[in-house]
Amino acid sequence: MSSVIVRPDAAPELPPRARPLPRVLFRPVARHHLWGYVFLAPMLLLLLTFKLVPMVQAFRLSLTSYDLLTPPRFVGFDNYIGLMSDTRFIKSVGVTLYYTFGTCVPIWFISLGLALIFNMALPGRNYLRLAYFLPTIVPIVVFGMIWKFLFHPYGLLNVGIESVGLPPVDWLTSSAAVIPGFILSSEWRFAPYFMVVYLAGLQNIPQELKEAASIDGANARQRFWYIVLPLLRPTILLVVVVSVIMASKAFTNVLVISGGGPNGASTVIGLYIYQQAFQFFKMGVASAASMLLLLGIMLLTLFQMWIFRDAQPE
Amino acid sequence: MALHRGYLNRAALASPGAAVRFALSSAGYLLLVLGAGVMLIPIFWMVSTSLKPLNEIFSLPVQWWPAEPRWENYANAWNRFPFGRYFTNSIIVSLAVTIINVLLSGFAGFALAKYRFFGKNVLFIAILATLMLPIEVLMVPTFLIVKELNWLNTYQGLIIPAAADAFGVFLMRQTIIHVPDSLLEAARIDGASEVRIYFQIVLPLLWPAVLTLALFVWRETWDAFVWPLLITSQDALRTVPIGLQRFSEENVTNHNEVMAMSFVAMLPLAILFFIFQRAFIQGIAGTGIKE
Repeated sequence: MSSVIVRPDAAPELPPRARPLPRVLFRPVARHHLWGYVFLAPMLLLLLTFKLVPMVQAFRLSLTSYDLLTPPRFVGFDNYIGLMSDTRFIKSVGVTLYYTFGTCVPIWFISLGLALIFNMALPGRNYLRLAYFLPTIVPIVVFGMIWKFLFHPYGLLNVGIESVGLPPVDWLTSSAAVIPGFILSSEWRFAPYFMVVYLAGLQNIPQELKEAASIDGANARQRFWYIVLPLLRPTILLVVVVSVIMASKAFTNVLVISGGGPNGASTVIGLYIYQQAFQFFKMGVASAASMLLLLGIMLLTLFQMWIFRDAQPE
Repeated sequence: MALHRGYLNRAALASPGAAVRFALSSAGYLLLVLGAGVMLIPIFWMVSTSLKPLNEIFSLPVQWWPAEPRWENYANAWNRFPFGRYFTNSIIVSLAVTIINVLLSGFAGFALAKYRFFGKNVLFIAILATLMLPIEVLMVPTFLIVKELNWLNTYQGLIIPAAADAFGVFLMRQTIIHVPDSLLEAARIDGASEVRIYFQIVLPLLWPAVLTLALFVWRETWDAFVWPLLITSQDALRTVPIGLQRFSEENVTNHNEVMAMSFVAMLPLAILFFIFQRAFIQGIAGTGIKE
């Protein structure tokens, strides 16, 4: 009986290979190993089939010309070279950067500010926080429908703008206004989301530290700069990295609201890839662009981690 | 995990002095309340528009609430496209993805937390790495694989690739690692099989994490747009988000109907959110790790 409960780390070494394999398999240690594989196998199989194999396939496809009808033809790095001179692709990179940083930079401050406020004891705090949080649970397509309606030439946004005496904005038909519109709508949906992340970080800061600082005579501002902010650095890193990744690959909102228009002014890279693949059936070009997007996201992330190199999350 | 420890509903942490000072700065408080109103306007406007007759939708001055709420807008919208079918599909797919993902994530998390086997760390890192892959990279090859399997326009095509997500594995591993080994060993001495140990000893200790994960997966699946759009071309398989998009595709300009169905599409998430606020918010706070 005792041999059954031997923990693997306490177990004796497996005997040399001379023994027939089946007997080894029935030893407790091997059985323990086997159960590990058994429990892991189903999810591993799923991830292998639908994540890792597609990842490799994406790279292989990026070296081919493939339109779904004729078999893929190897073209080397032609797709990548082609992208470098494709003005629509280059424009989509610019649009993505504009949208990503236009959305993320305000989010970092708005969400932190909201979290600091909601970390205080306020009258009606729970209800107020709920109101701020609600946009986050709106499904993405519903979010698209709501904002498409708000962006309507006679929609509520323009009514509001005109009520303060400004000219109405062609949110979806002017190439100068379309990205600011997307940024505005993304603030609405994502600032509360990152507020939640910041709140979780703030509540991990030991209250005693702030109290001790108060006793030592630190005022609210000093407590924020010298206690809260330094301890919040891992959370700030998390928010900065995650928000940039999220915004740089977002395209469902664009697909639903503007379809990338007018004239490509809101075609972000994700939408460019989608259109290449499923409207023009250029699977190779789409895959090459997706590889470049992945590379870009990874480089951005590494760069951010380098900036925050002494504040790695646990 | 830092994020999973912080409960948002914990009692207020700030010192009373700061709160009083802030509450006293009533201008700031007023601004906060106004901000909350601004955040709610788009959602309120959706509900209000959904009940208006067509001629009140863009009428000026702004009609904040219809003179006579027209509930028949909901019936008309529901019947304009087969929304009964879309909702049934969305519920089938979301339930199936949630059950499969929670079950298999639990197994995998259990394996990674409580068993020792060759290649474990490499496998764990490989599993985590899949979280970094954006849908842009995966959608073309996954579409081709699913096409190869003849899964286009099938439930398995909607469900199985969506269930392949590693966030749950990570969450479950982090939770199961805190289950004491002595519990498992005691059960082994009593002759319990490994499967029974998981379901009778480990799983009952996990239910907060299971709830968090289930809500998270439900939300992601209910939200899913691009993947169902790619692989469904028949009403029999379309989900709610694709159904909503049809209003745009077919140029239906009855904004009241679009808003009515948008509101209905939001309900399955909103209701769950109000019931399980805390677990829901934790799942969202945990998304940070997923990205």
